[in-house]
Amino acid sequence: MLSRVAASFYWLSRYIERSDGMLRMLKINYNSSQDTVQEFTWEPVVRIFAGEDEEEATKLENDSRAVLNYMVFGKSNQNSILNIITLARENARSVQEHIPKDLWQCLNEYYHAVKEPRLERSMRKDDPITILDILIKQVMLYYGTVEITMERGEGRSFMNLGKYLERAIQSVDILDTKFGSANENPDLLTDTSYWKHLLLSIGGYELYLKTYREGFESSNVLEQVLLNNDFPRSVIYSVNHIQRYFERLKNDSNLEDYRELSFRIGRLESRIKYSSVKSVEKEGLHKFLMQIRSELYGIGNALNEHYFANS
Amino acid sequence: MQESGYFDKYSPIDGVWDEMYGKNARIRDHYRKVIDYVSGESVDDLNKKEELAKRLFMTQGITFTVYNSGEGIEKIFPFDIIPRIITGEEWAFVEKGIKQRLTALNLFIKDVYNNQFIIKDGIVPIDIIYSCPHFLREMYELKVPHDIYVHISGIDLIRDYDGTFYVLEDNLRTPSGVSYMLENREITKRLFPDLLPQCGVRGVTEYPSILYKNLLALSPRQIHNPTIVLLTPGIYNSAYFEHSTLARLMGVELVEGRDLVVNNHKVYMKTTTGLEQVDVIYRRVDDEFLDPLVFNPTSMLGVAGIMGAYRKGNVAIVNAVGTGVADDKAVYVYVPEMIKYYLNEEPILKNVPTHQLGFADAREHVFKNINNMVIKKTNGSGGYGMLMGHAATEQEIDDYKKEVMKDPRNFIAQPTISLSAAPCYMQGELKPRRVDLRPYALFGPDGIEIVPGGLTRVALKEGSLVVNSSQGGGSKDTWVLA
Repeated sequence: MLSRVAASFYWLSRYIERSDGMLRMLKINYNSSQDTVQEFTWEPVVRIFAGEDEEEATKLENDSRAVLNYMVFGKSNQNSILNIITLARENARSVQEHIPKDLWQCLNEYYHAVKEPRLERSMRKDDPITILDILIKQVMLYYGTVEITMERGEGRSFMNLGKYLERAIQSVDILDTKFGSANENPDLLTDTSYWKHLLLSIGGYELYLKTYREGFESSNVLEQVLLNNDFPRSVIYSVNHIQRYFERLKNDSNLEDYRELSFRIGRLESRIKYSSVKSVEKEGLHKFLMQIRSELYGIGNALNEHYFANS
Repeated sequence: MQESGYFDKYSPIDGVWDEMYGKNARIRDHYRKVIDYVSGESVDDLNKKEELAKRLFMTQGITFTVYNSGEGIEKIFPFDIIPRIITGEEWAFVEKGIKQRLTALNLFIKDVYNNQFIIKDGIVPIDIIYSCPHFLREMYELKVPHDIYVHISGIDLIRDYDGTFYVLEDNLRTPSGVSYMLENREITKRLFPDLLPQCGVRGVTEYPSILYKNLLALSPRQIHNPTIVLLTPGIYNSAYFEHSTLARLMGVELVEGRDLVVNNHKVYMKTTTGLEQVDVIYRRVDDEFLDPLVFNPTSMLGVAGIMGAYRKGNVAIVNAVGTGVADDKAVYVYVPEMIKYYLNEEPILKNVPTHQLGFADAREHVFKNINNMVIKKTNGSGGYGMLMGHAATEQEIDDYKKEVMKDPRNFIAQPTISLSAAPCYMQGELKPRRVDLRPYALFGPDGIEIVPGGLTRVALKEGSLVVNSSQGGGSKDTWVLA
């Protein structure tokens, strides 16, 4: 497979996964902004997902509609849904002859849906959840279409590498931001709605209820998002999948390139697997998360160098 | 039979060949079935068909992007639902004519890059060739496989008031539009179920497999499965859709310049498993941008060193480099002579009478009759930089004359040819609009093959004679009857 094609699969998939994470996060945050009596702050969300222009982003902080517009339709926001879907579609376009026609059409529709001027208008005055749901449905349609139509080969492996790498980075960032705020403001540690929203925003609420009977404890939340193998958004689940799909590339790889990547992924996987909430808290959560994050970025860079011919 | 309103109101343009109506407003037989079908549909139904066509183009991403104030706007190439129909007889004539013309043009290119007999024998003046910007000295005595230079051509044909076919221009570099020939047919199948077989319309779907077969035969390495690639300038090119469609239909890799690298006079593509040698390149990148070491040094679209590999015969390039010398409009004038010179035959397809403005007496004649003339740049395309004498203002004419005088060799003039008209569906009515025809000829080691059909471009603006998409043109499905 052409290196450029492999890179396009990888990025296409990272962008879609990012849009999924963002849309769900926005939906839950908007919902909880309607619940709070005091002023609701969008700061963490903006910090996790907005692009590099933090200054502009922080200005909007407390105005829900403005934040939603900036995050979904913002042209100046590099990481807005509009911009990342445009990029995803451009990546898909450059590999159009490698993906099923259904999949291309599905992405094309997602793109045209975000571009629809009516949507932007109603985000300003109507119910934002309806709008976000329309877009979330597009993502689900995409994942379903991939599952049903995508050939089980190299292309799909690169897609899954992108998807799970993006997901792992997101979960690490969310943990770091949320626990960071809680450290600065210890009241939050015992605020059940704070942890409930965190779980809801990454779709882990129901699993949490089934796993832990004793209510919302920050260490349990940490355990689920970091170490629960049954939770599809957990860091360990994502890293396991990175490993699984990377192994499938073995027969299509140069032995040396394969070894380099395989070593890095294996090291990261063990680092997480042989950690516990206790050991992590002992060495410092922030430090631990930053280390995981830099390992994840390292894997991305190594893929770039060894597989995408961008050294 | 009851004729619905569409055809009662249809009034052919005076002095223009109408593809549907013959003398005394009699409908030509080959349009009969389509007219019956359309007459049976209400305006609502036809509008729905038009809508469906637009939606199909849009959701399938058959669009090109127009960049306006930093934002990309997706547009579809306008499509008219009423097919343009060509009889089997007309087609046989066109096919024969194109084969003859293309054979001669290909011999001409081989000649000017090798022995130059045609110059030595005084048929084509030497300065016409050497002043042509697409004449590339780099091609001198470079051997190409099977002596074929023009593997793919899209010769533009028009019809004058009496229905005679004329060649308007020979597109011998990287003609585009063939994906529209294929997609228009797919869409017509959806719009008019069962009508195609009833009318006995010949299929066009063979195009990609014929092209693939020809590309395969050009491989310099005698191996079981040579690597064939389609080289595109990238997703921002307006014909990108076409590039990816053709790559998909042929099952070849679609590459950009940055995917390729030359080492030791061989071309490789960068893959996840390392470098893989490339044998045949169907390039949709112009000569000028192909190799920054040889041509435009600022080109990011090409591959450094590719001309070296080409000269060594380690890679085949399609179309060959330097074919532009034969579709230069100043050279066009000499094509009938070429046919006589190389083939000893009378030209089947006529040239539009053309005046080379490099000659003083021709220039005087043209300027005197400028209201009946079309003046064009010899290396222009896309309908840009043209003067339509009958529609231009005094000021425009004066400005253009000044432009011509700067370098008269770069301009030709032709009498305004009226272009035939075909019915188009416009807001509930049928109206005549001017059309041309671009059949796609494929030249391989087994000879020249032309799929029965082509791209019919149509000037959708009332009274307009310019069919280029950049100037408000659209397209129609083109039916060739068995």
